[in-house]
Amino acid sequence: MSTRFVHLHTHSNFSFMDGACPLVELVERAAELEMPALALTDHQGMTGAVRFYRACKDAGIAPIIGCEIVVESAGVLGEETDLPLESRLTVPASVGFGRAAASGFHLTLLARDFAGYRNLCRLLSRTHLRGPEVPSIVALKDLERFSEGLIALSGCANGEAALAIAHARPGRARSALLRLASCFEPGAFFVELVHPLTAEGPRIVGGLVEAADDLGLPVVATNDVHYLRAADHRLHDVLASAGARMALPGPHDRPNAELWFKPATEMRRLFAGCERACDATLEIASMCMGFELPLGRFHFPGAELPSGESAYSVLAKESWRGLESRYRPMPPEALRRLQHELALIDQMGFAEYFLVVKEIVDFARRKGIRCSGRGSAGDSIVSFALGITDADPIEHGLLFERFLNPERRQMPDIDVDFDSARRDEVIDFIYRRFGHEHVAMVATVQTTTARSAVRIAARAFGLPITEVNALSRHLPWVSARKIREVLETYPECRGHPLREPRYAKILEIAERLDRTPTHLGTHLGGFIITRDPVASWTPLQWAAKGVVVSQYDKDDVEALGLVKMDILGLRMHSAISTAVELARARVGQGAVPEPFELPKDDPRVYEMIAAADTVGMFQLESSGQRNLSTRLKPSRFEDIVAQISLFRPGPLEAEMITPFIRRRHGIEPVSVPHEGMREVLADSYGVIVYQEQVLLVAREVAGFSLAEADSLRRAMTKDRSREQMERIRAHFLEKALARGVDAQVAAEVFRQLEGFAAYGFNKAHAACFAVVSYASAWLRTYYPAEFACAILNHEPMGFYTPRLIVNDARRHGIEILAPHVNESAAEHTVVHEGTAIRIGLKDLYAMTGRLVDAITREQAVRPFRDLADFLRRTRAELPAAESLIRVGALDGLGITEAGRPPTRDEMLVLLPELKAVIAREGVAGDDTLCLAPGPTTAVEDPTHVSGWSLARRLSAELEIAGLSLSAHPLDLTAADLVARGVTFARDLRDTLDRTKVRVCGVRERAQTPRTRSGRRTCFLTLEDATGLLDVVVFEDVLDRTGDVIVKHRAYLIDGTLQNNPERGLAIVAEDVSPYVVRSEDGTPVRIRRGVPSGPMGPTPGGPGAPEEESWTEASTRQDLACPRSPRPS
Amino acid sequence: MGRNSEIKGFSATRYGQTLDLFESHASRLPVLLELLASPWVMRASEIVCRDASPTPKCVAEDVVVEWDPDRGCPRAFVRAGRRFRIDAVLQSWSSERAWWDPRRHVSRRYWRVLARGGVYDLAFDRTSSTWRLVGIHD
Repeated sequence: MSTRFVHLHTHSNFSFMDGACPLVELVERAAELEMPALALTDHQGMTGAVRFYRACKDAGIAPIIGCEIVVESAGVLGEETDLPLESRLTVPASVGFGRAAASGFHLTLLARDFAGYRNLCRLLSRTHLRGPEVPSIVALKDLERFSEGLIALSGCANGEAALAIAHARPGRARSALLRLASCFEPGAFFVELVHPLTAEGPRIVGGLVEAADDLGLPVVATNDVHYLRAADHRLHDVLASAGARMALPGPHDRPNAELWFKPATEMRRLFAGCERACDATLEIASMCMGFELPLGRFHFPGAELPSGESAYSVLAKESWRGLESRYRPMPPEALRRLQHELALIDQMGFAEYFLVVKEIVDFARRKGIRCSGRGSAGDSIVSFALGITDADPIEHGLLFERFLNPERRQMPDIDVDFDSARRDEVIDFIYRRFGHEHVAMVATVQTTTARSAVRIAARAFGLPITEVNALSRHLPWVSARKIREVLETYPECRGHPLREPRYAKILEIAERLDRTPTHLGTHLGGFIITRDPVASWTPLQWAAKGVVVSQYDKDDVEALGLVKMDILGLRMHSAISTAVELARARVGQGAVPEPFELPKDDPRVYEMIAAADTVGMFQLESSGQRNLSTRLKPSRFEDIVAQISLFRPGPLEAEMITPFIRRRHGIEPVSVPHEGMREVLADSYGVIVYQEQVLLVAREVAGFSLAEADSLRRAMTKDRSREQMERIRAHFLEKALARGVDAQVAAEVFRQLEGFAAYGFNKAHAACFAVVSYASAWLRTYYPAEFACAILNHEPMGFYTPRLIVNDARRHGIEILAPHVNESAAEHTVVHEGTAIRIGLKDLYAMTGRLVDAITREQAVRPFRDLADFLRRTRAELPAAESLIRVGALDGLGITEAGRPPTRDEMLVLLPELKAVIAREGVAGDDTLCLAPGPTTAVEDPTHVSGWSLARRLSAELEIAGLSLSAHPLDLTAADLVARGVTFARDLRDTLDRTKVRVCGVRERAQTPRTRSGRRTCFLTLEDATGLLDVVVFEDVLDRTGDVIVKHRAYLIDGTLQNNPERGLAIVAEDVSPYVVRSEDGTPVRIRRGVPSGPMGPTPGGPGAPEEESWTEASTRQDLACPRSPRPS
Repeated sequence: MGRNSEIKGFSATRYGQTLDLFESHASRLPVLLELLASPWVMRASEIVCRDASPTPKCVAEDVVVEWDPDRGCPRAFVRAGRRFRIDAVLQSWSSERAWWDPRRHVSRRYWRVLARGGVYDLAFDRTSSTWRLVGIHD
């Protein structure tokens, strides 16, 4: 008698909120228990299948891919709901099945071979794609149609047969089993026995055995595994509860915790009287032994080829044609390079892939949709010749082998960025060109972080939502397993409620939920394109955003050898296109050249970058990049490439910047250990910055071929053991010594390669980005208003908030005009000959598309005369009208008895009355504002048409538009700041290095990137009324002031100014204290975009309120109330 | 015809079986099946105990249990100084409730056993690692 057992019904955490087994641990446990095989049967999907398959293969276990589906009633004719109430089987509601929960019966399916796998994919896809709102219940006729190669188990306790036995209806159980068995090939249907150690269990098992024996069906034992070890049932309960939006015990309310991954002895003991059920698991495993997923092969979609042509011949012709248009005169090196690349592409069989990408890019170009390739595809001259990328690989010394290594036949990955505003046109083309059945989007698996894990646990524990928010808010974005560590060490977590002992259990559970998959998302732009229907490769389903998405993520798709194309939307492309349009509309079509085709040598552009005046520039605007700009002083295109590459996590961690800058400015000499490196590292002053340089150094010093060198680079990049590294080193030294290189020199070269290989940046990627960076920099230099306006119109994008973009434009002399119903369009517009930006209407709080359309339509008829005229002609909704009044969009309209336009307060008082009149009569009196205004507060500022003080106007602008249009918030307190001895941003550049300074600013960004030492350093980007402030807060200060940084929005910072060419301009903080911006009467001004809840503004501490208030006790919140409008009487 | 001939004449279906329950191991399964199919057998652990007047079938006594590691079940238990050899394990089930609430948390594994004098429910309390006798059936 065998003592072995195979689990054939196992849920991993890819059962999404109804499984707590991490896949890798599951496979490891099966290997540890010496199980010969293991099945994965997640709910209604196969998201974990490919990684499960690979993990099993690595562990020497036979993988069995399957899933648990919901199937319609088989034991009765018609619907379950057709039966009388007392005859129905009630299925307990469960999570993990979406709308199908409680609507059908469970059935376990296993793929016996590849045909079975494909049928499983087809069956799931067909079931899921019936409609976004249709429950995914498998029809019996579909089960029959797609049963080839599948083995079915009759289901767990929620299977129809088991439920019928539980409800004492053996006849129903028999007819269900018969009907289900008839759907499958003979011998491929088993009656599933689950003994969950409940009092009812033996009776159900006995009943099923009896029914199986009567029908001549085999039985098989499973344990419906949902968690790895018995103690893990808590995780499962928490996940299921949160998934069903219930408090514990959750939807299952199981009587015990026995659905764990039991060893063979336990399982056989459970089924001591029915050994054949355990033996059957081994039989089924042996039936599935032959299953192989064809990983490592490529499956390209069909490119359009003229008759008599091959993919390669078409590619070669197109490439030669493209090369001729790119180079005039043609350099011989380009010819040689193209020949070399084409030969390798042909040899690796990737010609069709290039043609498919070209087809898509050609479509975009034909339609005038801005696009550009990125990533290592830029290393290829074929990509350049085909117009996929724009950086010249010859000019920038880019290497094809970094993109496609003939030693490693991997699917090429060409990423293309498209104008995000028009990306849908490209996507539409792809669907039309390849067919809807051949295209699907790639999924992303969303997993828990610290915040989401805490929320899941807290909700399962039944805490009220306010308490859940309080526990998860203000946790840093770290993984869940680090929660305890950050609570103990991060200063900003001092006083966090999660530290209280009463939440210990939530904390413990949350930690264990680290990286648990919670749901499937949709990749930003990844598309699978296949020659066969996609559904025969991967299960498909509807994504929440209404597109068909694969259940596999990009890695799984790549492993299956399917073509994945990243159709990414780049908002900078949209902004550049819009800026060019605006500029051409102002100065003439022919007066503005295409920015991508400009010679990249304009000194004014480089001056602006070198002055760190880069807000809005693609890849060059972050605080780190601005700092680098002042140190690097770029003066040519190659410098931009270097700048983009240097400020990356890898080069930063390897501290490449300092030697690069020092050598560039001649502070230290350029030195290389081997003369062969001098030329290949000339661009980077002897520092290995680019991955391509690693290849070249290995070739020059040790005689590696470029393909070998790339393999060496990859081997050095991956996590490797000391022994592996020693082997790589020995190999390198051996080859170098064979070429007569001195042993010490070779060792030093290897030391440098080892140090930098893992950190180097792909130069092709940087060069592709630099083309876009230069175009954006050129537009900002010559058309600043158009450029700022375009960025605002395509927000969110870039590093900064729209508020900062507006402030920056104002600092550059561009007038910012508040939105107005007679002047503004839906979008922001450039007016006054490029000297001003008029804020548009569409982003104002509470505006609807209908109202924006109505306003713009009526503008064309005649201007609005007053509030009543506006309300009558646009039928504006009350909240939107209120927003427009408060932000000043109706300022100056109409006339009151006082002979002046009504103030905003007066209009707010009139508004409900006018709306009521319009609603009652359809017309609000005459065309003039003749209704007497009710009592209002006194006019605060008689010099301004609104009657409101600057502070109040600013507060309303921040709340409604998210922008400070009238002034910078710190303009309100300029006198106070001067009295406190604050130095302004514009004066820092002229202040001496190492001077003690005090600055004040509003937080724009706070970053704590990884550092090599592991110490925490916070980089704060602040803004005052005159410019940006870059503040570095080192760990000792951060320990003292971290909570201040998190809890407040504006700070006073005392520190030492760092202002030298080598380190750039920054303030090293010694103390950070909160600064509350107050108006003249001492009332605090809210400086975060708010969500108004009426004329009274947001509730203190509620949604949209400033951060300070979210940390403040309710009792003290009243003190922070914003300037308020009066309530209408 | 013996005294129990009528009972012995029952067919071994779910509605009845022979009474030679304790003669061999092979005879235990029908007993188990019979007991499981018998609605008159109640699980003592499910009987509500009233503090003032505990029902005769529901007890809560600490007992000492001898464990059979080979079979993974109790071999005998000692109650009030008397040793009860277990003749058959009729049923086993487990209970895990309200783990998140220390006041209501129940984590037990139960064995219903045949021993001298009747059917007993033994429970191993996982939270306190103690054995208790929780029910006695006639």
